[in-house]
Amino acid sequence: MQRPAPAKFELLVRRDEEDFELRQVASVTGYLSSRPRRVESESYEISELRSRLAVASGFILKNTTTDRFLLLSAQERFLWDQMDGATSLQEIATAYVLKFGEFDFEIIPSLLRKLQRAQLLTFEPRSRLRAVLARNRGRVIVKALELVLTGLERIRISSHNVQPFFQALYRYGGFLVFTPIAAIVCAALAVLGAAAALVLFRDVHDMLEGFGGHALRGILTVKLLFFASVALHQFVHGLACIHYRRRVREFGFTFLHGFVPTFYVDVTDIFMASRRARVVTAVTGALVHLVLGAVAFIVAVKSPPGSFTQAFAAASGIIQWQALLVALYPFCFIEMDGYHIFVDVLGVPTLKHDAIAYAKGLLTGAGRVEQGREELLWIGYVVLSTLSVAAFIAFNVWIIFSATH
Amino acid sequence: MQASAETLAFLRDVRVFEAFSDPDLLALTDRLRERDLRRHQILFREGDRGDEMFIVRRGTILISKSVTGKVEQVLVRVEPFDFFGEMSLFDGSPRSATAQAETEVELLVLGRDSLQAMTETAPRAAAAFFHAMVLVFMERLRRSTLQVAEATRWGLEATGLDVETR
Repeated sequence: MQRPAPAKFELLVRRDEEDFELRQVASVTGYLSSRPRRVESESYEISELRSRLAVASGFILKNTTTDRFLLLSAQERFLWDQMDGATSLQEIATAYVLKFGEFDFEIIPSLLRKLQRAQLLTFEPRSRLRAVLARNRGRVIVKALELVLTGLERIRISSHNVQPFFQALYRYGGFLVFTPIAAIVCAALAVLGAAAALVLFRDVHDMLEGFGGHALRGILTVKLLFFASVALHQFVHGLACIHYRRRVREFGFTFLHGFVPTFYVDVTDIFMASRRARVVTAVTGALVHLVLGAVAFIVAVKSPPGSFTQAFAAASGIIQWQALLVALYPFCFIEMDGYHIFVDVLGVPTLKHDAIAYAKGLLTGAGRVEQGREELLWIGYVVLSTLSVAAFIAFNVWIIFSATH
Repeated sequence: MQASAETLAFLRDVRVFEAFSDPDLLALTDRLRERDLRRHQILFREGDRGDEMFIVRRGTILISKSVTGKVEQVLVRVEPFDFFGEMSLFDGSPRSATAQAETEVELLVLGRDSLQAMTETAPRAAAAFFHAMVLVFMERLRRSTLQVAEATRWGLEATGLDVETR
C-alpha cells in the first residue's frame, strides 16, 4: 500500500492587526526538530558484543527496568550516544554523515522505533534552560521569564526561498570572493592590519580617549554596528555554498534560545560536498571579520591621534578580530566555524558533547580516569576551552578598564 | 437589495437555496444585504457576538481558529457559492472562529431577523433551507472528524511515535 503524504497544517501567523502570513507546516518539520533523549544512565546498560565471525562489532543494550535487550550495530550505537535530549534529529543526522561519510535514510526512524518499543527513549523540551524553567513554572518570576523567552523565540524573520537570491549575488560579483586575487588581498590586508594594530596598541589608553568621557557608550555603539557584520558573515557562507553548487536552504534572523540575537544561514547542503568545500565554506564566512578588522585598524592608524574616528575605528577593529578568533578558534565550548572544521578534520563530530560528559563524570566521581587517545583529546578540549574562555573574558575586562580609567 | 437576474442566478447555485421556488428566491433577495471586504480585512473575530450568516459571492474567506499567541490554524477557505457564520445565526453564540478576507471579497448577508421573517412568510422555503442546512452540517461534521484524524497523524509523524507495535 502506498504511504500517504506527510500530514500538514496550514497556519496563519499574524504580523499585526490584519496583516498575516500563511505557512504550511509538515509533520516532517516537527520530526526533524524533535530531540530524543535516552533514559537515565541507571536505567540501561550497554556492552560490546565481540564476534569471531562478524567483521564489525555489535552492542547489546539492556533496559534494566524492563529487562528488555536490543542488539545495536556500531552505527546505531553512535546514534544512541547522540540522543541526549539536546540534539535534534537533524543535528544527529548531520553528525552521522560526518562520522560515516554516508547516510542511510531508514536507520534513524528504525532505531527510534526499536528504542521506543524497548522504552529506552523520551522526548524533552528544546533546551536545558527551557527544561529548567518548565520544571519551576510555579514561581511567578520563572513563568514571566519563560513567557519573555517564548515571545522572543517567536521572533523569526526568515525566507526559505533564498537560493535564487544567493545565485544572483554570486553571479553579480560574489564569485570574486573565491578567486586567488581575493585570497592575496585578504592576506595583504591581514598583514597591514596586524602592523597597524601593533602601532595602535602601544598606547591603547590614548587611542580610546577619542571617545571623550563616553568610552563605554562608544564601545557599545561599536558592538551594535558589529552586529551588521554578522549578517555579512552569513552571506559569505551562503555564497560559498553556491560556489560549490550546493543549495542555500534558508536565511534569517532569530533569537537563539530566546535571548541571543543572531542572523543565520542554512548551508547544511554543503555536507553533501567534499571536505574541502566544507572547510572553505566555514572559513570564508569568518574571514569577513579579518578583512573588516584590518580595514578598521588601517583607518585608525591613519586618523588623527586621539580623535573620535581613531577611537571608533580601533574599537571596531578589536571587536572584528575578536569575532574572527571566536569564529575560528575551536576551543571555547561554542560550536562555531572553527570547531566544525576541527571536528571534521579529526573525524570526531561529537567532541564537545563527549568531552563535557567525560569531564562531568570525572568531577562528580561517576567516571574513571582513562589514558586512551580519545580521553586525552576530551581532557585537552575541556582544559583549553576553559582557559580560553577565561582569557577572553579577562581581555575584554582589561579593554573596558583601560578605556574607562 | 435589488433582485437582479445575475443575483437570482447566483443564489440558485447556493446549496441551501437550491430548492427555493422563484417567488421565494425573489423574496429572499429583498432580505439580503451586500457587503464588500478589502483584501485581508477581518469580518469578525473568534469570540465576537454575531447573528448573521454570509454567502461568498466573489473572492475567498479564510476561517481560522486561534492556536497560540499570534498563530491560528486555517480551518477552511470559503469560496464563491459557499457560506459561513451560520452557527451564530441560529443560536446567537459567540463566533467560534475568525473570518478574514484572503482576497477582495463580495458577500451577501442574511440576518436572524430575515431568517425569522422567511420562516413566518414562506414556511416551505424555510423547511427547504433547514433541510439543506442539516445536510451541510453533516458534511462539515465529517470534515471535522477527518481534520481531527489528520491532526493526530501529524502528531504521530512529528514525534516518530510507534504505536503499532508498542
